[in-house]
Amino acid sequence: MSYAQPHPRQSILSNSSYSSAEHLSPTASSTRFSLPAAPSIHSTLASTPRPASNRVVPNIYDRNLSKARAAEVSASAYAFLFSEIVQYTQKRVSGINDFERRLNTIGYRVGSRVLEILFWRNESTSKAPKREIRLLPVLLMIQTQVWKAVFGKPADGLEKSSSNVDEYMVIDNEPLFERHISVPKDFSQLSCSSFTAGIVEAFLDGLNFPARVTAHHTPNAQFPSKVTILIKLEKSVLERDELQK
Amino acid sequence: MSHHLFLLSPSDTPLYSLTHQSLKPAQTVTSPLAANLPTWSTSAFAGTLTALSGASSATQPSTGSGPTRVGGGQDRHVIQMIANASLDAIEDVMRKDSAMYLKAVDKFNDWTVSAFVTPGNMKFLLLHESKNDEGIRTFFMDVWELYVKTLANPFHSAHTPIRSAVFDARVRASAKKYL
Repeated sequence: MSYAQPHPRQSILSNSSYSSAEHLSPTASSTRFSLPAAPSIHSTLASTPRPASNRVVPNIYDRNLSKARAAEVSASAYAFLFSEIVQYTQKRVSGINDFERRLNTIGYRVGSRVLEILFWRNESTSKAPKREIRLLPVLLMIQTQVWKAVFGKPADGLEKSSSNVDEYMVIDNEPLFERHISVPKDFSQLSCSSFTAGIVEAFLDGLNFPARVTAHHTPNAQFPSKVTILIKLEKSVLERDELQK
Repeated sequence: MSHHLFLLSPSDTPLYSLTHQSLKPAQTVTSPLAANLPTWSTSAFAGTLTALSGASSATQPSTGSGPTRVGGGQDRHVIQMIANASLDAIEDVMRKDSAMYLKAVDKFNDWTVSAFVTPGNMKFLLLHESKNDEGIRTFFMDVWELYVKTLANPFHSAHTPIRSAVFDARVRASAKKYL
């Protein structure tokens, strides 16, 4: 495989380095799930050494942070990546609690980035950029904007616990993460949405609302995979919010 | 005229710092107190002492160019002390004020401290001597964008020192442009 024209590869994500025809053709399909990329890149580099000036090293600082119209990720890629995360985690844990904690940690890393990027997209053009210091707007932002950024749709509900004042719940009737996951019987307590809980926890933590966030599987007849993300805020948060009223 | 930038993590660990010498001319303020300071003021802690006494410069201010000046709040440790001291003021303000850009949040003798608090609770501090609200705001927005890009890099863990050479170069370029 060689390139007649200079290859327009600017970044690691924008265009794949090999043609999609090869990827989709039935003859090549057997290699789709092994790692076809590595050998093909090698042979490309060996056969057509590009001039040094033409080799663009991907640089994150050159990339635009605003959301491009066409920058959507396919649900299959998303599900595949998540299933790999779950498998990776499963090999390294001893129990369900540990499992959920690890997923939460990985989600936390995602969440802290979602937080900054989301605010940057909202506020970077503003003359006086604002953070969020009140609790309720933050929770609403999680329900709408965070869910939209991560899952492409707002969450189905935001509820305040009737028994505990420090508890809020974000409800997702059909979580995207669990669409292709069926948890085995002996893992029945496990909720893979712990990852989502981690995202929410990072978002709240970053904005100075420390909380413990957990995911709970709460199926009903209509939505068998319904998940409730339970947010248990620290005492200090409620006290502060009370003062700000 | 110099500017000092610090990026601090939510736990107040410095992740990046930059000293920028502005090409714009500095206004030199001669302080009679500085001239009258005894000779021991050139000792190791002279900078701290003169800074605390309110003097702007311990040596002859005639040259006026930033890098040659010592003491008078230009010493590294004094700068760091002023930056750290302003954190208390910032924490007070950010609790009530939702603005990210906190201009002139603290003052110490010649130095004014402006700050920028990101949603993720990172603090950018800038020590400056002259008023330049709009320039500093633009500069902070640039640094924020660069920081968000750094954070988006999966090889960078949050709240660890930023060592990227590109980041450094971009921040310097932006400082040159706006400060």
